[in-house]
Amino acid sequence: MVTYQPDNSYYKKLSILGECCNGLAIVYLAKHVPSQKLVALKKFNMDKAKHANLIQQEVILTRQLQHSNILPYFVSYVIDQEVCVISPLMEFGSCRDLLNTHFIEGLPESAIAIIIKDVLEGLDYIHKKGFIHRALRASHILISQTGHVCLSGLRYSCPIIYNGKWQKQIHSFPESTMENLNWLGPEVLEQNLQGYNEKSDIYSIGVVLCELANGTEPFAGMPITLMLIEKVRGAAPQLLDSATIPIEENDEINGYTLNQANRRFSEGLHQIAALCLQREPSHRPSASQLLTHSYMKVHRRGLSLPHLLKPAIPLSDKVAYNPDEVADLETIQRLNDLEISSYEWNF
Amino acid sequence: MDKKMCNINKNFDSEPGESTELEEAELNNRIFSVESDDELPVLAQNDQENPVIWLNDEDLDLETVNINSFFHRVDSDQIIYQTKKKRLKMIGKYVMGDLLGEGSYGKVKEMLDSETLCRHAVKILKKHKLRRIPNGEQNVQREIKLLRTLRHKNVIKLVDVFYNEEKQKMYLIMEFCVGSLQGMLESTPTKKFPLFQAHGYFLQLIDGLEYLHSKGIIHKDIKPGNLLLTLEGNLKISDLGVAEALDLFAADDTCYTSQGSPAFQPPEIANGLEAFSGFKVDIWSSGVTLYNITTGKYPFEGDNVYRLFENIGKGDFTVPEDIDCTLQNLINGMLRKDPGDRFSIKQIRQHDWCIRKPSKCGQAVPIPPLRGDEFHSITVLPYLMEHYYECQGSDDGEYEYYTERQLNEERRKSERPHHQLYEKSAHNNGRAHVSSQSTKRRWPKPISCISVNKFPGCKQS
Repeated sequence: MVTYQPDNSYYKKLSILGECCNGLAIVYLAKHVPSQKLVALKKFNMDKAKHANLIQQEVILTRQLQHSNILPYFVSYVIDQEVCVISPLMEFGSCRDLLNTHFIEGLPESAIAIIIKDVLEGLDYIHKKGFIHRALRASHILISQTGHVCLSGLRYSCPIIYNGKWQKQIHSFPESTMENLNWLGPEVLEQNLQGYNEKSDIYSIGVVLCELANGTEPFAGMPITLMLIEKVRGAAPQLLDSATIPIEENDEINGYTLNQANRRFSEGLHQIAALCLQREPSHRPSASQLLTHSYMKVHRRGLSLPHLLKPAIPLSDKVAYNPDEVADLETIQRLNDLEISSYEWNF
Repeated sequence: MDKKMCNINKNFDSEPGESTELEEAELNNRIFSVESDDELPVLAQNDQENPVIWLNDEDLDLETVNINSFFHRVDSDQIIYQTKKKRLKMIGKYVMGDLLGEGSYGKVKEMLDSETLCRHAVKILKKHKLRRIPNGEQNVQREIKLLRTLRHKNVIKLVDVFYNEEKQKMYLIMEFCVGSLQGMLESTPTKKFPLFQAHGYFLQLIDGLEYLHSKGIIHKDIKPGNLLLTLEGNLKISDLGVAEALDLFAADDTCYTSQGSPAFQPPEIANGLEAFSGFKVDIWSSGVTLYNITTGKYPFEGDNVYRLFENIGKGDFTVPEDIDCTLQNLINGMLRKDPGDRFSIKQIRQHDWCIRKPSKCGQAVPIPPLRGDEFHSITVLPYLMEHYYECQGSDDGEYEYYTERQLNEERRKSERPHHQLYEKSAHNNGRAHVSSQSTKRRWPKPISCISVNKFPGCKQS
C-alpha cells in the first residue's frame, strides 16, 4: 500500500488534464515520486473561490465516504493560496471527455449499461449515507484504465440528515449550482414548499442517461429559463434514436445525424430513462430499486468497458508527458495573478 | 387591538381579501355597454329582459317603479373582465414575478435570477412614496448600507440593488422568504404558535439579534411582522429601515431616537426619555414578540398611542396563567421596566426555557398559502410561459376576456385545491374568446365589478 504524503515536493506535475469548477481548479497529471505511480493532482485556487466552504465540504465528505464507485481522495494539503487534492488517476477521464473526443453522438449502449450500473452503486451508497449528490452529470463520472467507474463532484451535495433527523424534504437551493441546472430535477428548480429529496438524483440519472446516449445533455443550448418551464410542465427528455426522432415528410431529420436517426436503443434502456425522468418524484424508483431492474443484469457479460470505449485510449505517462505545457501554464498563471493596480489608501 | 398600533407589516402576509392593489394591477375591468355588442357578440344575449327606463324627477314614485329598472340590473354574465397579460419584465438579469406583499414604501415582488434560477424577493421603492414617510429616503439608504455589511443565517441578505432614475424607483433584491411570523399568526384562530414552534423561532431571533448587536447594530423594530421565514424554515430578521448603527468608537449603546412600532416600544421610549440603551430596546421588543407568539396577545394595549404609551410607561402587565413558569420568568426578565434590570442576550441564552426544548405537541402552524397556492410556487413561471409559448402568436388576442359569472364559478371551484396550475397548453389558440371551459387558469379575484381607484386620502401610510 502506497502512502501519499501531504507535501508538494513528492509530486511531479507531468501535464495538465483539464480545468474544472469554472476555472477555479486545475487538474494535473502528476507522478508520485517515491512510488513512481501516476496520480491526479487537483489544485484549487482559493483566491478565486467564491464559495470556499464548498471545496472544504467536498474534501471532508469525500474523505468520509468509502465506496469503490466513489472517487477517493488519498490526501489533501494546502500550499500558499491553493488547496491540493491527490486522487487516483482515472485514465479514461470523465464521460464528458469521452463524449467530446470520440463519441460526439453518444456512447454505445453496452458501455452506457456498464457505466450506469456502477454509478447507481455509488449513488445508492451516497443516499444510504444520508446525502443527495445534486450534481450527477457525465463530467462527474470518471473511468479508469481498467474500466472502473467512479463518481465525483460531491462539492454540490447536501445532507439529508439535519438536526439529527432524516428530513422528508430538502429546500436548499445553492446559487453555486449554475452549471448543473440542466441536470436538476424539476422539483429542485421549483424551490417551493414541497421541497425535494434523494429522488431528484434519480431524475439526474435519467438526464445523464440521455447525455451519455445522445452526446449532449437534454436542454443544452436552450435558455435556462425555458429549460425551467419545460421541466416544470413535465417535458421529459428522451434518448435519441429511430424510435424517438421524428422523421419529417421529406425524410429530413432536423438537427440530428443520420446515425442517431437510424440507431435503436434497447427497450430496457428506454424504460429505465423513462422511469427516472418521471415528473413526480415519488413515482421514480430509488437507486437500489433501479439496480434490481432486469436491464442491469443483462449486460454484465460481454466486452469489457475499455474495449467498448475504443478508439479512446487511456492516459499513460508516455501519452501525456508534457512538461513544457505545465511550465507555460504556470508562468501565465503567475502573470495573471500579478496585481498591476497600485494600492489605494482610503482614509 | 388596533392593527395600526402594532404597525403590522403587510409584507408577505397573505390575506386574500385585503390585497386591493394587487387586483387593481392585474385587472382592468370594464363594463361593456349594450352598444359594445359588435365587439363581443356573445355578451348581448339577455339584454331585452331589462330594457332601460328613463325617469323624470317629477314622476318619481318609488312604489310604482320597479326597483330593477331604477338601478340598472347587470347580469353577472355581462360584466366583462380583461386580464392583463403577464408580460415578461426584467430588471437586470432578474425576471419579475407576482406581488408578495406591500408596505408603506412600495411593493414587494418575487424575482427569479435568470442565470442561476434562484428565487429572490425585490422591494420596489418609489421615490414619491418615500418622501411621504418621515426620513423615508434616509432610512432606505441606511438600510442598504447596513445590509451590505451583514452576513448571518438569521439576518436577511441583500443580494443586489438597482436604480431606475427615469421611473424614480429603487429595487432592493433580497433573499426569498415565504412568509412572516405575523402572517402565520394571523392565519390561525388562536393567533399563537405551539410552544415548540415558538421556541425554535425565538432561538433563531436571539441568534440573529446577537449577531446584529455584535456588529453594533440596533434593530429598533423587532416584531413578528419583521421576522420572515425561508423555504427551509430559517428565520430572517428583516426590515432594517429604522435600525441604527452605533459609531465604532461609541462608548456604549446609547441611542436618542426611535421610530419602531408603538406596541413593541419599551417604557423608556414611551416615557419620552432623551437617551436610552439601544440593545435593551431590542431585548424589550423581542420580549413583546415572545409574549405575542406564545400567548396570542400583547402585554400592553391601549385605545390609541397615548393610552398605549401610558400603559407601557407604567410597565405593569400580566402573563396569562396557563403559561408555564419558566417561560413566565423569561418574559418577565425581558420586560423589566428598568433597562438596567432587563435580561441581556447572554442571560436569555442561558435561561432554562431557552436551554430546554419543549416537547413537540400539537400541530405546527404552517405558512399560509399565497393566493390559494399552499406551496408558494414560483410566480414567475406564467410570465416565462407567456414569453416563450405565446409571443409567437398573432398580435390580436392581446387580452383574455371573462365574465363575472365565470369568475364566480371559478371561485367556487378554487375552494378545492388545484394542483395542475401549469398544465396550460402551449398551443392555446382560443385566447381572444370568452371561453367557458378555461378552467386551468387561476383567475385573480376582483374586488368589485366596477374599477375603483384608490381614494387617495384613505391610505394608511
